[in-house]
Amino acid sequence: MFIIDDLLLRPIVAVGNVIHSMAVEELYDVEAIRDEIKENRLLFEIGDRSEEEYERRREELRTQLDVAREARETLTNKVEVKQ
Amino acid sequence: MSDHLYAYGVVEDADFELDIDGVAGATQAYTVSHGPLAAVVTDIDTLDPELTDENARAHDDVLQDVLLDAGGRTVVPMQFGSVFKNARTLKNVLRGGRRAFTKSLREIEGLAEFGVKLVVDEDATVDADEIREAAGERFAAASVQEEENDRFSDRLVMNRSYLVDRDERAAFDEAVDAVTDDYGDVLTVQYTGPWPPYNFVDIEIGTQQ
Repeated sequence: MFIIDDLLLRPIVAVGNVIHSMAVEELYDVEAIRDEIKENRLLFEIGDRSEEEYERRREELRTQLDVAREARETLTNKVEVKQ
Repeated sequence: MSDHLYAYGVVEDADFELDIDGVAGATQAYTVSHGPLAAVVTDIDTLDPELTDENARAHDDVLQDVLLDAGGRTVVPMQFGSVFKNARTLKNVLRGGRRAFTKSLREIEGLAEFGVKLVVDEDATVDADEIREAAGERFAAASVQEEENDRFSDRLVMNRSYLVDRDERAAFDEAVDAVTDDYGDVLTVQYTGPWPPYNFVDIEIGTQQ
């Protein structure tokens, strides 16, 4: 009985993990945030974004980056995150 | 205590000082010589300086000053965060990398790096491939070598570094002007430099700090 239960459960667990990994990947995509930080700077440099807007966005992205880094560190210990 | 050395780059043996804001609040850059080479350094009290905007800019600023010092010096740039425990360890690296540094110095003698970014206006639709080809042709004709960099934004049509003969700088300026004339109505040209040839020097030296 125990074996059958285990077999039945396994695929579901696996799917759950994949979904979880993808969510982690998307939510905490450090590279994408880094790109946005670079883009924000570039747009400010060419005069396409005001200093005020640039500073505001920069703070936002920095916070996101910190959160993402921390989350990845915590979560990679629990689920495998595909690189 | 600031007994470590932060190294910015390597030049042909020379002895000079520069009053400049360096990484981690340093105020004076100087040289540490070994054989035919010298490293440009500032004192630093940590082995692991933080990569902040300010520190990154300071790293660039010092290198640019070296580049423009004494009517133009050739410098092999080191990557951000190259800290050495003391002058002895730094000299060991200069000795170990002597051949590679000398070769690089020879290769980039009289050359400087320029950056060109073409950024499409927010609402413009363009044929990115066509622009890359046309602009790329103009830039290539006025430079020695080119390097494709990451297009980290959807609005970046082109992000390249060019190695330009310092004496041919005017020709490269003209190429940039021409591209601005051709496409100025749909994009912005960001033209930066001269930089030390970050993207054209690749030396890896295994060492213990």
